[in-house]
Amino acid sequence: MRYVKLPKEKVCEFLERLKSMGTLYGPKKISEKFYDFREIGDVKEVEFEYNRTITPPRKFFFPERETVFTFDTANVEIHETLPTGNRIIIFGVHACDIVGLRIMDSRFIDDLPDPYYQIRRENGIIIGLSCLPDEYCFCSVRRTDFVDAGFDLFLHLLPDGYLVRVGTVTGHKLIENSPEYFEEISSEDKDNFAKFETKRRSMFTVQGNWDDMRYRLELHLDHPMYMRESDKCLGCGNCTLTCPTCRCYEVKDLPTLDGAGGERVRFWDSCQFRSHGLVAGGHNFRPTKKDRFLNRYQCKNAYCETTTTAYCVGCGRCTYFCPADIQFKENLLEVYGPGGGA
Amino acid sequence: MTLPDHEIIEECRDVCRATVGVYVLTSCYGCQLVMATVEKIMEVANLVDFKCFYMVSSKSSLHEPVDIAFVEGSVSTEKDLEELKEVRKNAKVVVAIGACAVNGGVQSWSEGDLNYDELYASVYGDSKIKYKGLQAAPIDSYVKVDYFLPGCPPEEDEIMYFLSTFLFGSYPEEIDYPVCAECRLEGNPCILIERDAPCLGPVTVAGCKARCPSFNVPCIGCRGPVPHDNSWFDSLALTFKNKGYSKDYIRERMKIFCSFDKNLEERLEKVFGRKK
Ligand code: SF4
Ligand code: SF4
Ligand code: SF4
Ligand code: SF4
Ligand code: SF4
Repeated sequence: MRYVKLPKEKVCEFLERLKSMGTLYGPKKISEKFYDFREIGDVKEVEFEYNRTITPPRKFFFPERETVFTFDTANVEIHETLPTGNRIIIFGVHACDIVGLRIMDSRFIDDLPDPYYQIRRENGIIIGLSCLPDEYCFCSVRRTDFVDAGFDLFLHLLPDGYLVRVGTVTGHKLIENSPEYFEEISSEDKDNFAKFETKRRSMFTVQGNWDDMRYRLELHLDHPMYMRESDKCLGCGNCTLTCPTCRCYEVKDLPTLDGAGGERVRFWDSCQFRSHGLVAGGHNFRPTKKDRFLNRYQCKNAYCETTTTAYCVGCGRCTYFCPADIQFKENLLEVYGPGGGA
Repeated sequence: MTLPDHEIIEECRDVCRATVGVYVLTSCYGCQLVMATVEKIMEVANLVDFKCFYMVSSKSSLHEPVDIAFVEGSVSTEKDLEELKEVRKNAKVVVAIGACAVNGGVQSWSEGDLNYDELYASVYGDSKIKYKGLQAAPIDSYVKVDYFLPGCPPEEDEIMYFLSTFLFGSYPEEIDYPVCAECRLEGNPCILIERDAPCLGPVTVAGCKARCPSFNVPCIGCRGPVPHDNSWFDSLALTFKNKGYSKDYIRERMKIFCSFDKNLEERLEKVFGRKK
């Protein structure tokens, strides 16, 4: 892997350079407390020290709503509305979210390629950014706190700039083509990088790893936590809609008034909703709120072969953005029992 | 999705025109106004034959058979009730449109707290009015309703969706998830979390694309409760209670558009204990 340094005074210029290559998105403050990935007009608006975004980066490849095809009933034809393949650059993605994207790839590319996702993903550049955890983060126990794949460049904070890890050929070319922004790293930079990582590691509120969490949960499906906590749940779906690895969607046909055609749209769905478990004939395989609540806990703790991690990457969004203040990490630890690393 | 238990409207194209009626009981006429001013109103008017639509034509009749009846307003007088029964008798499909027809509307706020006679006396004293009044109620308290198109007023895209699916020989899919879902899809921050706003988004059925939170205003629940008992008033009341809101405030707010939800009182009692 190649390492270079991006000095602090060159950051804005580098962002300008990225912006000239396509549409640049990055973390922005959208309200008093929250951040989101938004298109960057003025590079000074980029927030380098954000905790988490309210919408996960999967939205760039699997948008909240999209038309997948239009149909013509007279000629009995469908016309796919594939994305255009414009270059997009996502700046400032944290490690957990990068693993989240690889998890999305495993389902939307490896399994059965979804052209809408794939085209966008192939045209995306991912620039990672280091972070310091807050009390909601638990990527450490998910083994997603440090990524070795899934980014083109990864920026690690130094006192006077960033140590840049180069992850792909695209990332390499980015640096080759703009050498004026980068420097060789010094031994001091290496020390500072190590110091940052040590400090960061000590800040996590849970330590060790949760590789066996899935089994602990499966062995205690009747744990009283589920009843108690699902009773507080609003069934609002915020926990899944903000999650970087939720993949469920709903499709709907919108015919035109004259019946000559229409479009099929897909939009994000959530297993916290009744209709998610509703099948033909009116049967619902998750009839109660508790069934739906339990489903998310199982789904997120299942094992993804591609990343060899759980589907949950420990970003903390499902707790941070839960209006009912339901604590995912604490609830998992409760079922796990002693030794969960807290 | 279960199949509808009404006659499917035949797809017409250029051979026939579906007949449609837009009826009104006790309401503000806002739903009709939205229906009459949809962007594609001329296209709609060419495709269907309106037998009744007071906002658009004085040649409106209650007594003609129609394929689709859109009923606005709550049942608040005996006259409303008679008309509603007549509409139901003449229609293949009945759609309740707007907060009043779907959930009783703001005029049903006192449901469960005051009875009709007390209300009447406090407004009219001893004077007489032409029609005997009734406690304001949603239309499905009296007749079978095939579809619900909520909103105060309803959204244009939903009106068009309902019409298009009916004319297509199909039917509209029901929404059974809350405003919060659309609030996320719109990319808003959450004002309930961020500034403890008394947002009813979590218990209110989606479809408005989180209109109010998108303007930084907490949802007041105008679209009514999430259907199929999935409006978790208890969980939301607990959330509000933990933020310091009083029982009365929470109950009053939830009752504005949800007074007819059969779970409301019971779920509130779960959090606050029995009401006196
Ligand atoms: S089932 Fe639920 S938790 Fe799993 S991906 Fe779908 S929405 Fe997310
Ligand atoms: S389950 Fe929660 S903590 Fe885990 S990845 Fe999803 S939002 Fe983040
Ligand atoms: S965000 Fe919280 S309240 Fe909403 S569905 Fe998820 S756990 Fe339940
Ligand atoms: S602002 Fe209201 S509607 Fe939006 S997510 Fe929060 S509670 Fe739900
Ligand atoms: S956000 Fe709530 S009050 Fe506003 S339009 Fe939607 S349902 Fe009605």
